[in-house]
Amino acid sequence: MPIATTVGACDRSPDPGPVRASRGEDRVWHRFVVVASLALGTFATAASAQPQGQVGVASSPTGSGDVDQTEAPAVIGNAASGGTETSEQQPDLAELQRRLDLLADEVERLRSGEDVEPVSVDEARRLGLAPSAAAAYGRERGVSIAGYGEMLLENFGGENEAGTPTGRTTQFDFLRAIIYAGYRFNDKFLFNSEIEIEHADEVFVEFAYLDYQASEHFGVRGGLLLAPMGLVNEFHEPTVFLGAERPVTESRIIPSTWRENGGGVYGSFDRVSFRAYVMNGFDGLDFSSGGLRGGRQKGSRAKATSMAFTGRVDVTPTPGVFVGASLYTGDSGQGQVVVDDTEFGVRTTIFDIHGQAQIRGLDVRGVFARAHLDDAAQLNLVLDTIVGEQMQGAYIQVGYDLLSQTNSGGVALTPYVRYEQVDTQDRVPTGSTRSLSTDNRYVTAGVELKPIPNIVVKVDHAWVSNDAETGINQFNVSMGYAF
Amino acid sequence: MKRVASVGMSLLLVTTTMVAVAQGGQMSREEALAAVFPQAGIEAERVFLTERQMVQIGELAGGEVESGLVARYVATQGGRIVGRAYVDTHVVRTKRESLLISLEADGSVKRIDVTAFLEPTEYQAHERWLQQYDQQTLTDDLAVQRAIRPIAGATLTAGATNAAVRRVLAIDQVLALAEEKVGAVAR
Repeated sequence: MPIATTVGACDRSPDPGPVRASRGEDRVWHRFVVVASLALGTFATAASAQPQGQVGVASSPTGSGDVDQTEAPAVIGNAASGGTETSEQQPDLAELQRRLDLLADEVERLRSGEDVEPVSVDEARRLGLAPSAAAAYGRERGVSIAGYGEMLLENFGGENEAGTPTGRTTQFDFLRAIIYAGYRFNDKFLFNSEIEIEHADEVFVEFAYLDYQASEHFGVRGGLLLAPMGLVNEFHEPTVFLGAERPVTESRIIPSTWRENGGGVYGSFDRVSFRAYVMNGFDGLDFSSGGLRGGRQKGSRAKATSMAFTGRVDVTPTPGVFVGASLYTGDSGQGQVVVDDTEFGVRTTIFDIHGQAQIRGLDVRGVFARAHLDDAAQLNLVLDTIVGEQMQGAYIQVGYDLLSQTNSGGVALTPYVRYEQVDTQDRVPTGSTRSLSTDNRYVTAGVELKPIPNIVVKVDHAWVSNDAETGINQFNVSMGYAF
Repeated sequence: MKRVASVGMSLLLVTTTMVAVAQGGQMSREEALAAVFPQAGIEAERVFLTERQMVQIGELAGGEVESGLVARYVATQGGRIVGRAYVDTHVVRTKRESLLISLEADGSVKRIDVTAFLEPTEYQAHERWLQQYDQQTLTDDLAVQRAIRPIAGATLTAGATNAAVRRVLAIDQVLALAEEKVGAVAR
């Protein structure tokens, strides 16, 4: 498709002048040299043209006339403009306009980041750098740094539901400080990672993977991966979820932040997106009556005798709304659950259905998750505890940004309420007895303030109850950021 | 367990095969212009905004205008302007994104194409999300959480895109006003 500039002399296709040559080479450093040369040439021309009267930079598209030039847009390269130049001046002014047009075009293209190319090995050698070190020279697509963090104050009730003193002290925790570091090798290969300092003194790699993006719609991924389950596990930045604390369902049934080593595929087609991975399974010997959380291996010398499959499918019928389902299934025995000389796999299956709608300030989210363990009786014999054969949790949460329909300049003030029920012993093996304290109901009400989209302050209160009357209410204040 | 692993491995094998034949990539500015205005002639302009225009645009758009250099394309067909397109480059998180924002002749949004996205691709707005802007004009309602729904997990992309669209619509309005004045004086 031919695209003409407003000056015939600047027509991009046929003119093989010096700027054309630089564009053909597509090398950023070379472009800068050319741009600098052009700038010098332009100033020299301008200097020679100025004493003769008019510098034709601000010519308007339809001729300037008596219009206030501060109002008229200055379109570079309109040869039809002006009209007061002498015939001697015109070649200089035309050349000046042409060069400014080329400069503006080069600057705009450089700024856009559309066709930044890598530095070749030969060029890297000329720069005196190893190819990797030189990559940052020619490629905006190199290192990417981002991060998030959250600080949480938890004030627990002095007595539980039954009026028994809890002895819980108020806790103030810098929960997470995270740096994302990524590197794009080229259009197809990239590395991404999340390095986390938890509770100010524990260091984890939350994820670290390589992507091969085969097309806009499809890619392959391998490394330390986030299990693609629920709403929070993959999107756990404090500015994304409502509530000072993550939902309990997505802590005990879907044990976020849940990451394991593996590989798989991801992609999206029209309204459907998916991810499917094979990863190492849980370590079942670390399960407890409180859920699966302890079984995460977090990529550290993970036992991989038992592998697992996990995946999700989400459908976005309209922007701002999506529903989906996730599945995880695999053994958690890791060859360690042996009873009477028989090894038990402890197949663990978790599925969830989830949905989210964000429309005109209204934010509605919900998750239902259920986990099922085979061989729970044998596992309990080995562990001498009661891990539930079936666990489940669900929550629904509603928030509304009170400022969303006003011109608040991006400030958001969102009251929210969440109802949640979680039971980590929904069903126990025959002969075991359920604990009434593992079936908890949570009602959380609070408000979050975002002065800008990257910063959030949340205040909420959670009322916790169960049939054993051991629930402990708590008041939370959190501050989070993401960049 | 073995069955799970074999299913997984088969999946990866199929994937690898698909990868070998898969194609894709970001649309270039020229490709996008050709797709938006298929029968039209395109004239490229580099417009320098005056300081006063930058202030006006900032007030209309509700945000700062960082650059006075505007890349504009005017599409004509049969001697008649059928649309305009602007390239807006902005930072999403720490990296840049360039959008080609095409407008109808009446100044409403015709289509948005991503011509450069230097952040991780998972933060890139999908075509269907961008279609929310079709036929939109510069009103107070043109905001995320109002006429525009957010992108789950890509809040900053949604915010940056919306700011870009508002900026381009404001630039188009201000330039149209200035050109009208120039035209009136010329007449």
